Amino acid sequence: MLSRVAENLYWLGRYVERTENIARMAVVEHDASLEGAGAGGIWDSLIHATDSNEAFAAARAESPELTESEFLLLSMLNPGSLRAIFVRARELARGLREYISREVWEEVNGLYLFLAYRKQFVASDVHELCTETQRRTATILGLFDNTVLRDEGREWFRCGVYLERADMTSRIVDAKYHILLPPADAVGGSFDRFQWIAVLRSASAREAYQRTGRGEVEGPLVAELLIFSRDFPRSLAFCLQALQRHYQQAAAETPKRRRARAARRVGILNLDLDAGDIEQVVDDGLHEFLDDFQARLIDVDRAITEDIFRAAPFHPERGGAAEGGQ
Amino acid sequence: MAHGILDGYETYGTPDEMFDERGELRPAYRELAAALRGWSAEGYGERQERADLALLSAGITFNVYSEEQGAERIFPFSLIPRIVSGAEWRTIDAGLRQRLTALNLFLLDLYGEQRILRERIIPAEVALGSPGYKPEMAGFRPPLGVYAHVAGCDLVRGERGGMMVLEDNLRTPSGVSYVLENRTVMLRVAPDLFPRRRVRAVDDYPNQLLATLLAARPAACTGEPRAVLLTPGVYNSAYFEHSFLSKRTGLTLVEGSDLLVDSDDTVYLRSTSGLERVDVIYRRIDDDFLDPLVYRPDSLLGVPGLMRACLAGTVTLANAPGAGVADDKVVYRWAPEIIRFYLGEEAILPNVETFAAIIPAELDHIRAHARELVLKPANASGGYGVLIGPQASEAELAATLARVEAEPRDWIAQPLVEFSSIPTFAGGGLKPRRADLRPFVLSADEPWVIPGGLTRVALREGSYVVNSSQGGGSKDTWVLGGETD
Repeated sequence: MLSRVAENLYWLGRYVERTENIARMAVVEHDASLEGAGAGGIWDSLIHATDSNEAFAAARAESPELTESEFLLLSMLNPGSLRAIFVRARELARGLREYISREVWEEVNGLYLFLAYRKQFVASDVHELCTETQRRTATILGLFDNTVLRDEGREWFRCGVYLERADMTSRIVDAKYHILLPPADAVGGSFDRFQWIAVLRSASAREAYQRTGRGEVEGPLVAELLIFSRDFPRSLAFCLQALQRHYQQAAAETPKRRRARAARRVGILNLDLDAGDIEQVVDDGLHEFLDDFQARLIDVDRAITEDIFRAAPFHPERGGAAEGGQ
Repeated sequence: MAHGILDGYETYGTPDEMFDERGELRPAYRELAAALRGWSAEGYGERQERADLALLSAGITFNVYSEEQGAERIFPFSLIPRIVSGAEWRTIDAGLRQRLTALNLFLLDLYGEQRILRERIIPAEVALGSPGYKPEMAGFRPPLGVYAHVAGCDLVRGERGGMMVLEDNLRTPSGVSYVLENRTVMLRVAPDLFPRRRVRAVDDYPNQLLATLLAARPAACTGEPRAVLLTPGVYNSAYFEHSFLSKRTGLTLVEGSDLLVDSDDTVYLRSTSGLERVDVIYRRIDDDFLDPLVYRPDSLLGVPGLMRACLAGTVTLANAPGAGVADDKVVYRWAPEIIRFYLGEEAILPNVETFAAIIPAELDHIRAHARELVLKPANASGGYGVLIGPQASEAELAATLARVEAEPRDWIAQPLVEFSSIPTFAGGGLKPRRADLRPFVLSADEPWVIPGGLTRVALREGSYVVNSSQGGGSKDTWVLGGETD
């Protein structure tokens, strides 16, 4: 398929998934800003997870009355806000209309209009805005599976979804651990548990945690579920396995030497997750582990982009590069 | 007799599609008028809202250049359809097939032997002086001898009651997606207006388009031909249409940067599995942007080397570069002569009377009667630069006449055609609003005309301007095709 279309489908998957994650995290942050006293700034973990510390400081300097929730959800001053991310998703979808189904397009456009026509924003809107966004992004993913042809493009879309999901889950775990790292004596206390419950909720994992018989909520067990579980669909291990499967399908038609680098990187990441365990991760430092994981995801993304989406033109049947054009 | 929202309808006193000059309902509109009796102003408003919402949520929008980049609007849609009787349609269909056959022969001749110039049927400076004339194409014979594969002809009904051709569009005419989408919306929100099983379907168009493009593949293409649709991209005003057509035909939608011309003068597209050969390009980019090596060097929309590939015959461009010379508004003046010259027939659909400023006697006429005429620049589209004599101020008239004197090749004048109106909802009831009709004509071996076309309506009271960029809207167009029609 067209390289540009493949790349845009991959990013459509990433942006839709990121939108959903921001919405989910925002509900938890919003609740935490109302209930429970505590360490760490309000909304800090979401600001951290979306890499928008500096952007927020700058936007605050510009308009002091800007709230964290507005900045993170609806502000177009923040290129990482929920709305700004989804505007990009919708722009991509607009350029992919010949590829995606009408049903998917209408749902994408519907969420865009829902976010775009919201002029006033007050704190009490957070729940409605975010749950509606979650519902609609879930619909988009579902419709994509049920109304779009299952060809190479769908596999690239899925690659984007799973790579982004792995990245966001790692950020959810890391944001809490990094920012809300309690003093040593508080570990294991009720405040600590409150934070880890928030992590579970941010990853839609609270029920999964209980159903897998992990019992009382404890940090290492939460991290284990979100990193190593083969069954929980937002865990790093689950996402990387899915990414590997979808990437194999997506790149099946691509000549071997163009698809190899990304395949190798995903494969090694999967082997490392297979061989790892939570005790080792905690001993070596959870934050360091997640940091390294995110850096390796960036390498995967770079390999896909450089070797496939933006590869120099080549003639597959002649095995040579193009001579004219550029 | 109660007509619901039709109550108290008054025409402009000029031709009306629904009512004849005695105020009697035309036969083709009988069922419609009966169905409208059940419609109140509130009911109309409620259906209009549903239609608008359907168009907006489907993203059936066009971009407005004067607003911020990416601003989208729906093309205002009016629920009262235009209806064309079966008998009248047969005339329109035959007239358009005749016209496009002749215009394609004209293009082939103009870029070939130029018999029409040697026999002085049309002044050489008119044909060769047109910005649409592309000298690079001289001697080029496209597959099937067709230059204009896709055309749209704007028709209006004049004072004498018959349909006339107001202008031809042979470059990259747009609007066919609205024809198909308007029908979809009408079936959804106004099913009660349709006379049963008598309105001809329009959705064969994508199949016909694909067949036309594949038939025009280069002779050298022996395998399964690969056809693509080349769009300027997502910010183009007609982008919705490009993606719509790509979806309905299966043509791969590409931008210039997706294609390259290799040293073998062949066009390839960049795919994830490598380069893939392209045989036919339905291009929705103007000639001047096609190839920065030949035309505008600053164009980022085109493909370097595309003209080289086209002239080498490895790829078919539809429409072929240079087809625009045949829709030049000055060349239009000679369309009846062109039809006569190549086909030995009189035009079935007449032109609007046209004066070309380049002919001294006709320039005299324009000077003397400017007040009664519409002055049109020959090579602008979207209604820009047009001066309507009867409505212009003295200063506007003088300024435009000065431009005509300075550049006579670039101007034509036509009497103001009081073209027909159609009932259109405005201010709580139905009011007359003028409308034209753009049927689309596909040409491969034989021309084919979509049964209907895009009816564009001037939504402002008394207005003659139907362009979407200047306050126009659109309507569904019904060609009746029942046994008694």
